[in-house]
Amino acid sequence: MTPVQKVGNIDANKRMSQKVAFGFFTFFSYLVVAILFVILGFIILKGGSVISWDFLTKAPEEGMTAGGIFPAIVGTFYLILGSSIISFPIGIMSGIYMNEYATNGKIVRFIRVMTNNLSGVPSVVFGLFGMSLFVNALGWGDSIIAGSFTLALMSLPLIIRTTEEALKSIDDSFRHGSLALGATKLQTIRRVVLPMAFPNIITGLILSIGRVSGETAPILFTVAAYFLPQLPGSIFDQCMALPYHLYVISTSGTDIEASRGMAYGTALVLIAIVLLVNLLANALRSYFAKKVKMG
Amino acid sequence: MKVIEQEITLLKNSISEMWNLVHQQLYNAGEAMLTGDKELAYKVISRERRVNAFELKIDSDCEDIIALYAPVAIDLRFVLAMYKINTNLERLGDFAESIARFAGNLPEGEPLDPELVKATRVEEMLKELLDMISLTQEAFEKESSEIASRIFLKDNLIDEINHNSTPIIAQYIEAHPSSALAGLYMAGVIRKMERFGDHCTNIAEELIFYLDAKVMKHMGKTEK
Amino acid sequence: MIKINAQNVDFYYGDFHALKNISMQIEANTSVAFIGPSGCGKSTFLRLFNRMNDLIPDTRLEGKILIDERDIYDKGEKVDTLRKNVGMVFQKPNPFPKTIFENVAYGLRVNGIKDTSYIEETVVKTLKQVVLWDEVKDKLKDSAFALSGGQQQRLCIARALAISPSILLMDEPTSALDPISTSKIEDLIHELKKEYTIVIVTHNMQQAARVSDKTGYFYLGELIEYGETRKIFTNPEKESTQNYITGRFG
Repeated sequence: MTPVQKVGNIDANKRMSQKVAFGFFTFFSYLVVAILFVILGFIILKGGSVISWDFLTKAPEEGMTAGGIFPAIVGTFYLILGSSIISFPIGIMSGIYMNEYATNGKIVRFIRVMTNNLSGVPSVVFGLFGMSLFVNALGWGDSIIAGSFTLALMSLPLIIRTTEEALKSIDDSFRHGSLALGATKLQTIRRVVLPMAFPNIITGLILSIGRVSGETAPILFTVAAYFLPQLPGSIFDQCMALPYHLYVISTSGTDIEASRGMAYGTALVLIAIVLLVNLLANALRSYFAKKVKMG
Repeated sequence: MKVIEQEITLLKNSISEMWNLVHQQLYNAGEAMLTGDKELAYKVISRERRVNAFELKIDSDCEDIIALYAPVAIDLRFVLAMYKINTNLERLGDFAESIARFAGNLPEGEPLDPELVKATRVEEMLKELLDMISLTQEAFEKESSEIASRIFLKDNLIDEINHNSTPIIAQYIEAHPSSALAGLYMAGVIRKMERFGDHCTNIAEELIFYLDAKVMKHMGKTEK
Repeated sequence: MIKINAQNVDFYYGDFHALKNISMQIEANTSVAFIGPSGCGKSTFLRLFNRMNDLIPDTRLEGKILIDERDIYDKGEKVDTLRKNVGMVFQKPNPFPKTIFENVAYGLRVNGIKDTSYIEETVVKTLKQVVLWDEVKDKLKDSAFALSGGQQQRLCIARALAISPSILLMDEPTSALDPISTSKIEDLIHELKKEYTIVIVTHNMQQAARVSDKTGYFYLGELIEYGETRKIFTNPEKESTQNYITGRFG
C-alpha cells in the first residue's frame, strides 16, 4: 500500500466523522428549539383562551377563579423597577471598579469568588435573608421596598459579572489612546470605555430583569401578597406578583381546578413579559451598538 | 515631494555643479596652453583639489541614498549612473590639470609654436571636447538620451584627429629638432585628449543606461 | 537644544531588568528612530517619555528623564499635563468609536476646551496638517471606523497633534499598514519633524533609515549604538549594529 492511498483512507475517515459529528450537533440544537416551541405551544393552547381585556385589567374575583390578574402584573412591574433602580447602579459601578480601577489582583479575585458564590446561592435563601434583614431588622415589613432590595441583591452578581466581561472585551488600545491624550481615567471610562461596553452591559441588565420577573422564592417572604385586589399605594405596601400568583393559584387556591385556566393565562402573560423584555433588550442593544460604531 | 525625490534632486544639483566645474577647468587649461598664461594654468592646478573634494562628496551622497532610501528602478539606475559619471568627471578634471601642468611647464616667454598647434588641429580638438562636455551636460539636464547619443559621433572626430597627429608631430620634430621636447609633450597632450573623449562617451553611455535602461557598453562604436 | 534627556535609566518589570543604564539626548525638532530585535527594550524606553509604563503594575524606574529640563518623574509632575505635551501614536490605528470630527476634538474636550469655534478651527487645521482633510472633509460626521487603516492612522496622528504637543512618540506606527499608506505616513513624519520632536520605534530598518536623523540601536535592554542615521547605515561603529542592520542576525 502506497502512502498516497493511506492518506486517501484517512481523508475518507475524517470526512465521515465530520459528517456524523455535525449531524449530532444539528440534531440537538433543533431539539432544543423544538422543546421550547412545545412548551410555548402548550401554554398558549391552554392559556390563550383565558386572555381577554378583562383578564389583563381586572383584579381577581370569586376566590381567584374569575376576574383578572391586573394587580399581579402591576406588582411585577413595580418589583422590576424597584430592584433595577437599586441593582443597576451598584452592579455597574462594582463592575467598573473591578475591571478598571482595582489594581490589586488578590482583592479582585476575592471579590470575584464572593460574587460567584453569591450567584450560586439558592433564591429561597435570598428570600429568608431579605425577610430577616429588610422585613424584620429594618422594620420595613412585607413591602415593595423590601422585595426590591431582596431581588436586587439576588441579581447583583449577574450584573457585576456581565459588566466586568463587557468592559474586559474593550481593547486596551482604546484606553491607552485616550490616556495618551492627557485624559484622566474617569474621562477615559466615561467617554470611551463605557459607551463601547454599553451594548453588552445592557444585555446583562436585561437578563437580570428576566430573572427578577420570574423569581418566586425571594418575594415569598418579603413582599408578595396572597390576594390583594387593590393596587399598592406606596413602596411600603405589599403587592401581588405574577410568579407568586401563579404559584398560589396552582397550589393553594380556593378551587384549584376552577382556577386552572387562570393559571395558564398567568403563565402566558409572564412568558410574554419576559419575551417582551428580551426583545426590548435586543433592540436597545443593536441601537447602542450602532450608535457606538457611528459615534 | 517624496523624500527620495528631494535627495535625488540634491544629488542632481551637485553633479551639475561638478560638470560646470570640470568644463571650466578644461576651458581654462586649454586657454592657458594656447596663450601661455601661466597664472591661469596654476589656477587650474589649484582648483583640481576642489574637483577631488566634490568627487568624494558625491560618492558619499550616492552611498547614503543607497543605504538610506533603497532606491529601485529609475531611481536606482540614476544613482548608479551618477556614481560612475562622477568618477568619469573626476578623471576629466585630472586631464584638465595635466594639460594645465603642461602649459605651466612651457619655457618662459616661449609659447607653443602656432605652426604645431595648427598642424595638429589641437585647438579644434579642444573645442570639440568642450562641446562634448556641454552636450553630455545638456543631455543630463534635459534627460534626453537622444542628445546623449550624439556624443558618439563627436568622439569619432576626436579619434581621427588623434590618429593623424602622430605622423604630423613626427614630421614637425624632424623639421624643428630644437623643439622636439615641445612636440613630444604635445603628443602626450593629444593622447590625453583622446582619452578625454572616451570618458565623455562613457558618460553618455551611463546617461543612456539611466534614462532608457539600455546598456551601450562594448557594442562597437560604429554601431552606435 | 536638548529636548529629551535620559540619564542612566534603568527599568524593571518586576525582577526583569528591561533597560540597562541608558543615557540618550534627543535634540528638538529632529526625528529619532529606535531599532532592534523584539524584546530589546526600544518600546519600553519610548513609553517612558509619556509615562505610559505607569499603567503596568510592578514596574520600577531608576535614573532620570528630563523633558525641557524638567524631571518628568518628579513627584510634583502631573502625568496628564505631561501627556498633553508628549503625544503618542500606537502600533494599531485606534480611533475612538466616534465621528471623525469628535476623534480629533477628543483631546481638546478632555482637556477642558469648550470654545466650539476654536475646536472646529483646530480640527480642520490638524486634519490638513496630516494631509487627510481632502479625503474626509465631506464626511466629518461619519464614523472614524469607516476610514481605511492608513487613514485611521493619520487620523490618530491628527488626534495627537490637536492638543499641540511638542513631542510625538510613534510606536511602530506603520506595522499594520499597506506600503502606500506607510509611505504617506513616512512623508508626513518628514513634514512634522520641522515642528515637532519625533521619536519612532520601528521594526522596519529601511523605515528608520528613511525617516530619522538619528538612530538608536537597542539589544537586550542596552543602547548599543546611537548616532547619525547616515553613519549607522553606512558605517556603524559596533559589529552588533552592523550584523543587525545587514540582517545577519535578529
